[in-house]
Amino acid sequence: MYETDSPEQAALREAVRDFCRQHADASAWKRLTGELGLTGLAIDERCGGMGAGLAEVAVAAEELGRVLLPVPYLSTALAGAVLSEGDPEAAAGLLPGLASGELTAGFVFTGDITVAGGRLSGTAGNVLDGGEAGVFLVRAEGGLYAVRAAAATVTAAGTLDQTRSQATVTFRDSPGLATGADGDRAEELMRVLLAAESVAAAEHCLDVTVAHLKNRQQFGRPIGAFQALRHRCADLAVEVSSARATARAAVAAAAFGQGDLGVLAPLAKRYCVDVFWHVAAEMIQLHGGIGFTWEHEAHRYLKRAKTSQLLLGTPGQLRRLVAHRAGLY
Amino acid sequence: MEDEEFRATVREWLAANLSGDFAALIGKGGPGREHEFVAERLAWERRLGEGGWIGLGWPAQDGGRGLPWSQQVIFYEEYARAGAPGRVGHIGEQLLGPTLLMFGTPEQKARFLPGILSGTQMWCQGYSEPDAGSDLAAVRTRAELRDGEWHLNGQKIWTSLAHVADWCFVLARTDAGAERHRGLSYLLVPMSQPGVEIRPIAAITGTSEFNEVFFDDARADAGAIVGAPGDGWRVAMGTLGVERGVSTLGQQLGFQREFESVLAQARGNGSIGDPDIAARIADAWIGLQVMRITAQSTLGASPGTAPGTEANIAKLLWASWHQRLGELAVDVVGASATQTGPDYDLSDAQRLFLSTRADTIYGGSNEIQRNIIAERGLGLPRG
Repeated sequence: MYETDSPEQAALREAVRDFCRQHADASAWKRLTGELGLTGLAIDERCGGMGAGLAEVAVAAEELGRVLLPVPYLSTALAGAVLSEGDPEAAAGLLPGLASGELTAGFVFTGDITVAGGRLSGTAGNVLDGGEAGVFLVRAEGGLYAVRAAAATVTAAGTLDQTRSQATVTFRDSPGLATGADGDRAEELMRVLLAAESVAAAEHCLDVTVAHLKNRQQFGRPIGAFQALRHRCADLAVEVSSARATARAAVAAAAFGQGDLGVLAPLAKRYCVDVFWHVAAEMIQLHGGIGFTWEHEAHRYLKRAKTSQLLLGTPGQLRRLVAHRAGLY
Repeated sequence: MEDEEFRATVREWLAANLSGDFAALIGKGGPGREHEFVAERLAWERRLGEGGWIGLGWPAQDGGRGLPWSQQVIFYEEYARAGAPGRVGHIGEQLLGPTLLMFGTPEQKARFLPGILSGTQMWCQGYSEPDAGSDLAAVRTRAELRDGEWHLNGQKIWTSLAHVADWCFVLARTDAGAERHRGLSYLLVPMSQPGVEIRPIAAITGTSEFNEVFFDDARADAGAIVGAPGDGWRVAMGTLGVERGVSTLGQQLGFQREFESVLAQARGNGSIGDPDIAARIADAWIGLQVMRITAQSTLGASPGTAPGTEANIAKLLWASWHQRLGELAVDVVGASATQTGPDYDLSDAQRLFLSTRADTIYGGSNEIQRNIIAERGLGLPRG
């Protein structure tokens, strides 16, 4: 069972947390990859990686997600994991760059991409981490293809969540490398990582909100003494606690094959991101006016939550997907 | 014994014993249907005791089997999977027994545990009163020690299974001068005596799950006190978490059965084609998985550690989920769910719909659970 961190995972978590306390800015990428090697966690040591796995990637994603560090970690680390499961020769030209952080990735799961003679054409929008990606991993016609950004037209978009880039990517006869990796599995793994980082972010939102309620005085007492607010926080704690367990179960399915990933990934993504969204929305309400300001961090979490909720399957789409895969209808 | 071997043993025993007269008990009893087959279910309790299926987690020196939690969970899972009847002896096994194991004297253990383990002695819980519900420390039932006996006067309410119980563990005020939770004692009172009167309460199902219990100079012997006089609150609270312990996972298999029956109904009458119903069915299924995963993570993470607020979280999750399933059950049936059989004979869906209204009230209401989570889990100040 993947119930709690192993000692190694706990040490990794503490190292990433410590790092985030000191370097919570965009320039963190070089040290995060170079010093900590986080993008190479799931890459074999022969390819410059750390030789760990998806469970460790999830730990790093959680801690970076907790502080919304604006780096393209999710897609790049996932690319390392997914390509490592594919054709070693195809991956050989990409993995060292991903492990060192010099190459960043973006995944294309949507759009009208076609493949002819190893060349890709078509357009996809909402490519997460696409603004700075050096390589795109494109699911098309049953395969997963690697296309260098230089061979595509990349238009970075303005984003509601300013801590994670998006791009519209157009391929026109762009040369693609068949990676031998499983594009459908990659999409499920992305959902699992989104679930995991969402739980950590939700924990942060709840922690900050509870601290505020203990501190903020109105009517001569801390507002956390008012039952209307206490009960809302208790409900959030129930949601966060169950989301934590759910995300861990999904990570166990992703990393160790425990349970049905096809059901658990969309289920966890839907449940955990919905919880994150609810906690972030309550964070603003329970902070009162200050929570509505640009200066306060609450809005950044709200925007990340809504973005994660609407990408890689909306709540309604994922509910139907889970119901179909579970055989309900 | 390995877990899977144990599972096979449980399964075989249940299959062999839920046969003959006991076959009629499959799916009977439990919340919402406590009125069903009471005499037969009491006989089933004795059968369970003979089979050694009571007190699985209790220490061997106290007559239990000392099994690890994983095998206790397996027993509850298989019990639910077999549709074995709702327990009558669970209050003794899961509440009074653990209390005696924790706080009882050797004499008390020797006196009361064998009856629980053999399934021959039934217990009920005398906590709530008309003016002491969520505010349990407001208990007013009095007990005085005179001439070597405790004399009890007062009223308890919402007492499940009082009408079949041989004994009641009662929270009573033994020091009239002491405030609130100080001055309460935990007494063991025989039910079959002139000073005890039981009146059933007709619930919204039309049946009686709960009772009022009146003590009019009822007696208990001087040794029938657990802990010291005035120590009753600590004793009662010490095992409160046990009520929501290992049985959670087995309970969820019961939920799974109920969900499947709602799903079958929705498929059968075509209501699953209604997008609203379809969405609620998917949400119910997802909620069931989340509860199961959460319960497993709690069991796996904290063997033997002090209980946090996991039990409160689990109670809030399942009570609210189960209530929504009850609503879904009648909505799936549609208009015909508004009609009953003769004498207010209810369908399974109607019974689930009505009985689950109590889930968010008993065993600590949702509001009390939230208070506990806010205070002990989050450290928010008291109101």
